[in-house]
Amino acid sequence: MNSSSKSYGIIARFNNTASLLHAAEKVRDAGFRKWDVFTPFPVHGMDQAMGLKNSKVGWFTFVGGVTGYTTGMLMIWWMNAIDYPLVIGGKPMFSPFFAFPPSYELTILFGAFGSLFGMMFLNRLPRLHHPLLKHGQFAQVTHDAFFIVIECSDPKYSETETRKLLEQTGTPHIEMVEE
Amino acid sequence: MKSQASHSPLDLSKYRKVPAILMAVGGILAGLGFLVNPQQFAFSWLLAFMFFLSLGLGALFLVMVHHLFDAAWSVPIRRISEQLSTILFPTMALLFIPIALLAPTVYPWMREVHPELDHALHAKHPLFTMQGFYIASAACFLIWWWLSSNLRGWSLKQDTTGGALPTYKLRFYSCVGIVLFAVSLSLGAVMWMKALMHEWFSTMYGVYYFAGSVWMTLATVYVITMILDRQKVLSAVIHANQYYYIGSLLFAFTVFYSYITFSQYFIIWNANLPEETFWYLAREKGTWFYVGLVIIFGHFFIPFLGLLRIDLKSVFPYMLGVCIWAWLMHFVDMSFNIMPILHPDGFVLHWMDLGCWAFMAGVVATVFIRKFAAHPPYPLKDPRLSEAMGLYHDMPDSLAGEHVSHEAGRQGGKS
Repeated sequence: MNSSSKSYGIIARFNNTASLLHAAEKVRDAGFRKWDVFTPFPVHGMDQAMGLKNSKVGWFTFVGGVTGYTTGMLMIWWMNAIDYPLVIGGKPMFSPFFAFPPSYELTILFGAFGSLFGMMFLNRLPRLHHPLLKHGQFAQVTHDAFFIVIECSDPKYSETETRKLLEQTGTPHIEMVEE
Repeated sequence: MKSQASHSPLDLSKYRKVPAILMAVGGILAGLGFLVNPQQFAFSWLLAFMFFLSLGLGALFLVMVHHLFDAAWSVPIRRISEQLSTILFPTMALLFIPIALLAPTVYPWMREVHPELDHALHAKHPLFTMQGFYIASAACFLIWWWLSSNLRGWSLKQDTTGGALPTYKLRFYSCVGIVLFAVSLSLGAVMWMKALMHEWFSTMYGVYYFAGSVWMTLATVYVITMILDRQKVLSAVIHANQYYYIGSLLFAFTVFYSYITFSQYFIIWNANLPEETFWYLAREKGTWFYVGLVIIFGHFFIPFLGLLRIDLKSVFPYMLGVCIWAWLMHFVDMSFNIMPILHPDGFVLHWMDLGCWAFMAGVVATVFIRKFAAHPPYPLKDPRLSEAMGLYHDMPDSLAGEHVSHEAGRQGGKS
């Protein structure tokens, strides 16, 4: 959307979690949507500071679980009652009781698949390259550096205003990231 | 949730007479019932007794796991469980007296003319003798008295001294207590409820009663916390996470109860042995079959699906409904265990069931409220209280991640 399609976004470095948290709150309150925070370790309260909503992964897990349960029940019903009926121990050809343990296992398996693949889908993974990886200082994010990145594709983004906002947060270092 | 903080404290004074009314009406109905039909009265009384016993035992468990895990989040709600657990003695012990007196009319095994010819009794000798029954019952109440009074007593001592000794003592009683608790709870469930069909055996029965008990206790503790929070009694120490954690435990025990209940049924169904299956066959007769379905759907599926969403566990009106539902389902579950012996053809909601239940509800509520009002509402000098209050790091005010205002997000946070 943005005219400066060459730039990916603007990156600001912070040296501690407190200043990062307050900066994140400022960016949140300014109403940005396409932005992210990068830290070497989980920071308590960051979800709040960023105004993050509950993850949608749970829905993928739920759908996966329901699919798994239904698959298990249908599979056992079809195999035991339709395709190859065998009388075992005088039990009925099909009963939800004996079909429950395998169906329950499939619920967990498909639920786990739903979580994993749902997470990858929502994060657009796997991805071989990211513009931030070119950025010189960014490697420090696994060591002692904290970053906020606001993407140029954010509707609120403007080259001067966004830079001004980040400058107000007291960051020692602001830089543009190329696509 | 914080929007309620600006409201004035919840005023429940117009409901102050409810426990007394319950006690009076229930007492009259129960007394009348005893004169009309002592056997129905005894069963109704047992049903109500096992229902409210669950509250005391569940609360005792919550107190002990709190100390065993050295938990911080549950410090502000610990006093509720402590006071609730002390209803075990003497309240529940006194309420046990009618069962002790009417035991032969309740338990078929006590009425056998030739008990020496009954293999099931022989195999369970000497527990299933008259002496065994009363000694086991007395032992259960003594254990619960010892544990609940010490766990509450040392906690109250901590309020005044603030020393390290109460913490160590509480840990000691919890460590010893959890073992005694498991044994005594199973013994109680077996002697008072399972013994209605004494030929039956299931090693899961104690756990089954335990799971249902803690489930309904968690629901109760949630509502009590919610009320006390709105009355501004706990609002200084309670955050959104306490509600979320109790809600999560309630969810966990919904699954745990179902797991135990299903496993017990599944193993017996699969083995298909007449000496085990008769217990379930009696519960598939007439309308009992549908009561079984109500338990599957109402005790598991509805609360399971209803508690899945993270944000719903903090919505008060919704959770109040869940908790009322939990009480109803626990009542149905206890009825499913007890009543098929008296009413083999189907489920009957007798007026004496309601009378005995109302009487005990009134007694338990009165005792609990009196005890709770006599002492500080939360452990004042617990070393982990400040952690629970969020003085060391920010406490999230909404675990569902919804956007909170700047001020609300910081409240209770930065020191």
